[in-house]
Amino acid sequence: MEAKKNKKKRKVLIGLIVALIIIVIIVVAILVSNSGKKDALDFSQVQQTVKEPAAPLSASGVDTSKELNGHHLVAENDGYELYLYEPALSIIVRNKLSGAMMESTVRDEERLGNVNETWKGFLQSGIVVELQEETNTMQRKLGLETSGAAVSVELIPGGFHAKLDYTAQELGFEVEVKLYDDGSITAAIPESSIYENAANKKIGNIYVFPLLGNSRLGEKEGYMFVPDGNGALIYLDDKEGRFDSGYVQKVYGTDIGVGESYVLSLLWDRYETHNDAQTILAPVYGMVHTEDALGYLAVIESGEEEASIYATPNGAYSDYNWVAAAFRKCTTYIQPTSNSGGSVTKVTDRINYDINIRYLFVDGDEANYAGLAKRYRDYLLEKGELVNVADDFKVRLDFLGMDVENWMLWKKDDPVTTVDNIREIYDDLAAEGVDNILSLYKGWQDGGIYSLPVTSYDVDGSIGGAGELSKLMEECEARNIDFYLYTDGVRANPETGNTTFDTVKKMDKRTYQESTHQTVYDTFVYWTPQKTRENLQRLQKSFRKKGIDKIALAEVGNTLFTYTMGDTMQTRYVSKYLYEATLKELNESMEVLLESPVQCYWQYSKAIVDMPISDSDYIYTDQSVPFLSIVLKGTLPMYGDYVNFEANEREYFLKLVETGIYPSFYLTYENPSELIYTNSSHVYTSQYTVYREQILSYYRELKAVNELVRGSMITNHEINDNGVTIVTYDNGVKVYVNYSNADAVVDGTTVPALSYAIGGV
Amino acid sequence: MKNKRKGLLLIAVVLSLILSTTAMAETPYKTYTVDGYGYVLETQSAYNPLSAITKVGETSFVTPMDIAIGNDGNLYIADSGAHVIMVSTVDGDEVRMIGEGVLQTPTGVFISGDDKVYVADKDAEKVFVFDTNGTLLNEYGRPNSPIYGNNMNFRPIKVVANKTGTMYIICEGNMNGIVQLSPVDGGSFLGYFGTNYTTLSPFQIIQRAILTDAQRAQMLSNIPSTPTNLHIDEEGLIYTVTQGDKDMCLKKLNIAGKNMLDSDPYWADLPAAVTTGNYRNMLVADSDGYIYEYNEEGELLFMFGGRDDGRQRVGLCNKVEAIAVDNQDRIYLLDSDKKQVHIFEPTEFTNLLHEALYLFSKGRYTESKEPLEKVLQMNSMFDYANQAMGHAYLQEENYTEALRYFRLAKSFEGYSDAYWEVRNIWIRKYLVTAVIVIVALAVAISFYKRWRKKKYGEDGPTRPSEKVPLLGQLKYCLYFMRHPFDGCYGVKREGKASFACANILLAGYILISVIEKYFSGFLVKNVREGRYDIISDVGTVLVIFIGLTLCNYLVVTINEGEAFFKELYCAYAYCLTPFIVIKPFVVLLSNVLTYNEVFLISFANIIVWVWMVVLVLITVKEVNNFTVKETAKALALTTFTVLILTLLVCIIYVLFSQVIDFIITVVREVVYRIGS
Repeated sequence: MEAKKNKKKRKVLIGLIVALIIIVIIVVAILVSNSGKKDALDFSQVQQTVKEPAAPLSASGVDTSKELNGHHLVAENDGYELYLYEPALSIIVRNKLSGAMMESTVRDEERLGNVNETWKGFLQSGIVVELQEETNTMQRKLGLETSGAAVSVELIPGGFHAKLDYTAQELGFEVEVKLYDDGSITAAIPESSIYENAANKKIGNIYVFPLLGNSRLGEKEGYMFVPDGNGALIYLDDKEGRFDSGYVQKVYGTDIGVGESYVLSLLWDRYETHNDAQTILAPVYGMVHTEDALGYLAVIESGEEEASIYATPNGAYSDYNWVAAAFRKCTTYIQPTSNSGGSVTKVTDRINYDINIRYLFVDGDEANYAGLAKRYRDYLLEKGELVNVADDFKVRLDFLGMDVENWMLWKKDDPVTTVDNIREIYDDLAAEGVDNILSLYKGWQDGGIYSLPVTSYDVDGSIGGAGELSKLMEECEARNIDFYLYTDGVRANPETGNTTFDTVKKMDKRTYQESTHQTVYDTFVYWTPQKTRENLQRLQKSFRKKGIDKIALAEVGNTLFTYTMGDTMQTRYVSKYLYEATLKELNESMEVLLESPVQCYWQYSKAIVDMPISDSDYIYTDQSVPFLSIVLKGTLPMYGDYVNFEANEREYFLKLVETGIYPSFYLTYENPSELIYTNSSHVYTSQYTVYREQILSYYRELKAVNELVRGSMITNHEINDNGVTIVTYDNGVKVYVNYSNADAVVDGTTVPALSYAIGGV
Repeated sequence: MKNKRKGLLLIAVVLSLILSTTAMAETPYKTYTVDGYGYVLETQSAYNPLSAITKVGETSFVTPMDIAIGNDGNLYIADSGAHVIMVSTVDGDEVRMIGEGVLQTPTGVFISGDDKVYVADKDAEKVFVFDTNGTLLNEYGRPNSPIYGNNMNFRPIKVVANKTGTMYIICEGNMNGIVQLSPVDGGSFLGYFGTNYTTLSPFQIIQRAILTDAQRAQMLSNIPSTPTNLHIDEEGLIYTVTQGDKDMCLKKLNIAGKNMLDSDPYWADLPAAVTTGNYRNMLVADSDGYIYEYNEEGELLFMFGGRDDGRQRVGLCNKVEAIAVDNQDRIYLLDSDKKQVHIFEPTEFTNLLHEALYLFSKGRYTESKEPLEKVLQMNSMFDYANQAMGHAYLQEENYTEALRYFRLAKSFEGYSDAYWEVRNIWIRKYLVTAVIVIVALAVAISFYKRWRKKKYGEDGPTRPSEKVPLLGQLKYCLYFMRHPFDGCYGVKREGKASFACANILLAGYILISVIEKYFSGFLVKNVREGRYDIISDVGTVLVIFIGLTLCNYLVVTINEGEAFFKELYCAYAYCLTPFIVIKPFVVLLSNVLTYNEVFLISFANIIVWVWMVVLVLITVKEVNNFTVKETAKALALTTFTVLILTLLVCIIYVLFSQVIDFIITVVREVVYRIGS
């Protein structure tokens, strides 16, 4: 009897304990999910402000009865006329001097060709909305006329203001288009004008004048410009149906927070074999009709972090070549509900931001990619987003200090370049006359390059310690060597830092994890921008105490993501806003260097490191052009990727000559085979003694070239009939680069095979 | 003539334009190589995508299935959908179409050295032979020979021919092997060649033995896979790739049909085609777009490429059907899904390696050092180059350098050879000195002994082991090892053992096994240099030792064994003595041996283990006072208990992970509910 009672008691007790455990777990879970909520500022209301163009608005008191292809005139200036066809909100931009024009829709039914209703609506509408219905992952395209939307237009100074009401879908917004006297046109869709009244219908994407400057098959000569890498062109020739899709990339890189689906095929289930495509560094795209000598560069002034650039050659979807930006207003994501694969699709809230595009038109001799680049340079200088930095030729010599490998129960230090080693290398180079040097010191912190985050000046003993490093930096100061300490501001290592809180949670509230496919540290997570800011503030303080004023940051300059804090969505603009604020603070007392920064941070960086030298080589791009180099050369120094890892050294060298990008080397003092068991095992060649001669020859040759064009900007870039690339600078210097295996003669100068020559000195 | 030259010039200009615009872009794929240990590591790009051909003249591809490069440098593309062989220049200009109206489903094309175009046509059930102008010279249908098989179809999908015109044909559905057809008498059947064999797993063998005929008939028949593709090189060697044959998917067959390659773990998963380059190198294309380059022995040099999967970048493929290499080392890859011929161009890095390969294969080792050094300068971890450097130095009789490079390359054979020479030199140099030292030592020891005897008499001084009992116990293990029966008695009845002593012995065992693992000679070491995993080394020994002892104890107690746990534990620890005593010498020895004498090591290892097993058997018997029969029973039961224990641990582990999984799911669900 007693035993039975006891047994019962025990059962009750066990039940209680189990219940208690479950309750504790739930409470902890709630606490965890709510942590950080208290200081989660609501940045969703922060809005980007766009400066009005400096040029005056064009005259709008025009003869509105003047017609062109069914469109009527709404504004004009000395160079351009703006026409409008109201029902489709279609515009035509006409160059008054040449009579050339660019249309934003395909009005002629016969020319449409064999397209379905959806694409007909797309081709015939100035503004296209992609509709997000329920949680469908496929969004439906709505043309203005095909969807029966109501368009009411009101003429305003410089252009028009249109109110679009998609009555069937119970949503709408307003568009404002204005022409300015400098030949630029702005198109804006303010966030405040957007309404969505139906519960299950939302705006997915908005395309703004997607067909502006369209051409059918090969009827026009010219090209579309896409900001892939340094820049790339898609020719407007007849592609004969070779491509079934075109260029689509998110401005400023992919969004890790929404987990855009992609296929990861690993070789032997272990090795990632693909290299990522280049990130879009500048929110621009363009269209040039070379025969008509008319072109435009579209600059996304607001909402660029949510925009994707589409450049579609003929044959893909329709017979038309078109380039456009689509702005994401909401998106779907997968919310897993169990570990075994259960999930539901969900739609995000609307992402709040104003859409603003500025089309900068070019004509005459300027109607080419070099012209577009120059226009963009002027634009950035006017806006103050590009500042002139002293442009001295320097060779970039980065050093890897140390990394760690698994050893017995601990991690073992693998110092490959100590402070003394660096001094020795500098001395050795100085003896050869190499003294214009910029260096990034990677892996100086305690625990090595992947010991993240770095929040204080804590130097690893194995490379010499803090005292030695400080001494070296003082020496560098005296020798005029730019010596930057490098760290990653975004990544966090769960094994070396506490990453329970403040790490990025994706839209599905799961922590974002980046797999390295390496053995020492196999995953990294990302700090929230709030935490990044906090970490960098602490680091700045620590640096300032030690009198260190140079810092190089990875990832901060080119990582934007949507994430969740508590239960609020933080958009990519929030990341941008916070990183920008951080960089601004850092700039107050330090010199900052950013690794391939996107355009909005250019003003905060003393130079651009890891500047893409070419494009991603998509099947549909026809030519790689140094667009960004033309924009930046002479104002902001650019340093390329590491020469070490190039298989075609000579071509890479010539590319440096052509683009005006300065060379970079990744160096270690020891043989990099020391690193094979570390996370830095991808550094397979870096020993200084191996690269010494190459550094000397690169330095001498490139310095000679760059001294001639010091502080000058590029005015023209072309490839002549012999296949020789000619780069013209505003001080008259011409650089000829011959990539072919035969000598060529240009302007009376012989350019040897696989070499270069300088003219106009 | 003038016109032609102009055309050529134009082509040159176009080519240079292509070069300047596309060659510099970052490759869409990474390039990997394998180091001496088989560790996969990244390297400089071996080949860069150059361009792609999507159509020949004005004709687009329909279903391109095979590609061959003619002696004139033109591309011959078999398009089974367009029912022709398209002949194209490398720029995609049409030269001519071959076999219009004749061919039905051409899936294979081959150009012989004497400019004959062999076409395998699956649906026409024939092999056609054209000249390069497209004139039909011959056609060969199904062989009449009875050896061919009465019910066997003749559906040729791939064909190659040797210098005498003998054709090697892969036929769809013909598992007997490659059909060998002589051109005489309109195609006489010579027999099957290079047949693949099937292997039976032990499970299948048992299954077959047990099942009835009817049941066996219902099973999937275990028939060998037909080769997927084949290639013939200048010397008449036939290369085949077979999908689904994991171990031998790549074969290099001599004229007798004998495979000359050993299996390699770095072979393609889904090989689609094989070809040889200009340096006896082999190139295998994987159906998923990966390209593998091997040296003539089948060692991996490079692996690169990959699936496109919507990335839309030049150089990535979706479904590869064929591969070809031209005399400029460019690789042509035929993609039937993207309907393209991808062209890849070797980089400066690869050109250097190819130069070294060429010199090396010609036996010009010293000359090959220069390009090899450049290769190593670009990538010091490229072990193939290290190995070749080792060979070059070995040829030059510079053995220390050779040794260094072989060790870097983890080339055991080479290391052994070089070490033999180094050791030989050492022995010759120091033999006399060594003999003198040994004699001197022997003399010194004998003097010492005599001196001691004089001082202390026969018994000598009191030894420390007699003062400290633990030392005495430790010393006892040496006695135990030689006299296990008495030893067990001592442990059991005379208290010659203690936990402390047993623990010390166990620790010693662990220490020595760790030393053996990490500090054995380079040739006998099984672990990567510089890689340590002490926790699991120690853990494994402890778990096995304690688990076994425990299971054994449980079994013997219910079998009327007389042993206590302490006795068993101590006795078993004593059983480890041979390992502790002998292994250090083995480890030392392993550092000075070459492959010629490595049998000594294996021999010593066998002695150690047999000794230990015998000790354990005697211990079980003696400590428990068992008969032989009881001992056998106890051991069998112990084995069973161990199995049960393992099972139990597994079940607990599985259940536990289920619980964890459940908790995680609940937490996520809660987070999700609260969040929304």
